[in-house]
Amino acid sequence: MSATLGIAIERLSKSFGAVQALADIEIQVKAGEFLALIGPSGCGKTTLLKCVAGLLPADAGRIVIGSRPVSGPGGREASLVFQDFALLPWATARENAEFGLLLRGAPAAERTEAARRALAKVGLAGSFEQAYPAQLSGGMQQRVGLARALAVNPQVLLMDEPFASIDEQTRRILQDDLLRLWSEERKTVVLVTHSMEEAIYLSDRVVVLSPRPGRVHRVLDVPLPRPRETLDVRASGEFARLVDELWQILKKMQ
Amino acid sequence: MTPLVAPEPAFGRAGFAAIAGLLVVWEILGRLELTMFVPSASSVAVAWWGLLTDGTLLRSAGSSFGSLLKGFVPAALLGVALGLAMGRFRTLREVLDGWINALMSAPLSALVPVLIALFGVRDTVVAATVFLFSFFVIVVNTMTGVRGTERSLVEMARSFGAGEAALFARIYLPAALPAILLGLRLGAVQAVKGMVVGEMLISLVGMGERLIYYGNTFLIPELYAVIVSVLLIALLSSTLVQSAERALVKWK
Ligand SMILES: Nc1ncnc2c1ncn2[C@@H]1O[C@H](COP(=O)(O)OP(=O)(O)OP(=O)(O)O)[C@@H](O)[C@H]1O
Ligand SMILES: [Mg+2]
Repeated sequence: MSATLGIAIERLSKSFGAVQALADIEIQVKAGEFLALIGPSGCGKTTLLKCVAGLLPADAGRIVIGSRPVSGPGGREASLVFQDFALLPWATARENAEFGLLLRGAPAAERTEAARRALAKVGLAGSFEQAYPAQLSGGMQQRVGLARALAVNPQVLLMDEPFASIDEQTRRILQDDLLRLWSEERKTVVLVTHSMEEAIYLSDRVVVLSPRPGRVHRVLDVPLPRPRETLDVRASGEFARLVDELWQILKKMQ
Repeated sequence: MTPLVAPEPAFGRAGFAAIAGLLVVWEILGRLELTMFVPSASSVAVAWWGLLTDGTLLRSAGSSFGSLLKGFVPAALLGVALGLAMGRFRTLREVLDGWINALMSAPLSALVPVLIALFGVRDTVVAATVFLFSFFVIVVNTMTGVRGTERSLVEMARSFGAGEAALFARIYLPAALPAILLGLRLGAVQAVKGMVVGEMLISLVGMGERLIYYGNTFLIPELYAVIVSVLLIALLSSTLVQSAERALVKWK
C-alpha cells in the first residue's frame, strides 16, 4: 500500500462565464490531515472540491496530489463522497460499492471482495448487501457512498457536505464512524460542511472561505485531543470555545 | 429483501368489475333494440366466435400482427437510438426537437395517402403507418429519460474515470430505462392505432379491411367483434411491454 498523500492547491482561480467562483486559492493539505472547508453558500466550496477531483479544469493555478498534478477526472489518488449520495438506484448496495472498481476494469472476484470489505468497514455487512438504495435509510445510503469511495482504496477522500441531509442523531454516529475509519486508514480528508460544530469536531484545521469569489479568509487550528469519538470532546469547554471562535470569524465576514 | 409494497396486479379487481358492469349495460341496451348500431353484447360474442372459428379473425389478425411487428420493431430500435442521441447531444436536439414535436402532434393519418403514393397499395403502407404513429413518442420519452439523469451520477462515474461509452452504458441508459419502457408502452398503443388507420385507408388487408367491409355491409355484430379484437390486441401489446418493464425495472 502506498503512503498517504498531501494536496497542494496553488493560486487556483475558477470562473463560470462572468461569475468568478474561486480567486487565488492557496491551501496545503498535509498527508493524513483532516481538513474542513467552510464558508457562505455559493462561495465555491463544491467548485474547489470538483477542481481537486479533476472534474472541473482550473482557469489558473494548479493542484498537486502527492507528486502528480491533477489534469482531469479519473485520477486514482482521490475518491469523492457526495451530498446526495449519488447511488445508482438500479443497483444493490454491493453493486454500488463495486462501481468504482467496475469502471476501472477490475475483475469481478476482486470487485466483490473489495466491496464486501469496504461495506464491512462502514458497518453494512450481511443482508444489506442485496438491498437497493430506496430500501435503505439516508444514513445507510451514505454508508454505501462511503464504501464505494473506500473500495478503490484512495489516499484522499473528498467529501462534499456528506452528512448535510441526514438527521442529527444519525449524523453524529456517522461522524464518529468517519473519525474511527480515518484513524484506522490514515487517509487525507477534505470535508466541506455548513456546520461549525461538524468542522470543529472532525478536523485538524478549518479553512474559512470568503463570499464569492471564494478566497481563503482564515485558517483555524483545532488542537482538540483525539480520539475525539471516545473522549466526549463535544462536552468540553475548549470545543465550545473553538466553535464560538469560528462563529465570530464567519459573523464578521458577512 | 422483501419489497416494501406488493406489486400491483396488471389488471386489478376494480378493472374487472368495471368491465363486467359495462358488459351488463351493453347487453341491456342491445336487448332494447333501439337501433341496429347497438347490437347486444351476446350477439357480438356469437359473431366473434363465428369469425374466430371460420378463420376470418385469425387470418386478418395474422396479417395485422405482421404489419404491426414490421412497423413497431424498427420504430422501437431507431426511436430509442435517436432518443438517446438527442438526449445526450445538444446540437442534435436543437436541430431535431422542433421537427419531432411538430410530427408528434400532426394528424399523421393525413400522411397515409403520401405513403400509398410512395409504396403503392400494399401492406408495406400499413407497416410504414405503424412506424410513423409509434416512432415519435418513443423518441421523445427516451430523450426525456436521458435528460432527467441525475447530474451527480454522471459526475460520480466521471470521477471514477468513466469515458463517454461507459457513461452511456452504465449511467444514461439505465437511468433512462423507465422512461424508455414507458415510451415503448405508449408507442405500442400508438402502433395499434396506426395499424388500423393504415389498413382502413388501404382497405386491402388485416383487421382494418374487415372493419371497412363489415361497416359497408352493415354486419354490425361482426363489426363490433373486430373492434373488440383490436382493443384486445392494443391491451395485449401494452401489457406485454408492461411485464417487460416489471422484469427490467426491479429497483422501484
Ligand atoms: N456549472 C456551473 N455553471 C455556472 N455557474 C456555476 C456552476 N457551478 C457553480 N457555479 C456558481 O459558482 C459559484 C460557486 O458555486 P459552488 O457550488 O461551488 O458553491 P458552494 O460553496 O458549494 O455553495 P453551497 O454552500 O450552496 O453548496 C456559485 O455562484 C454558483 O452559482
Ligand atoms: Mg456546494
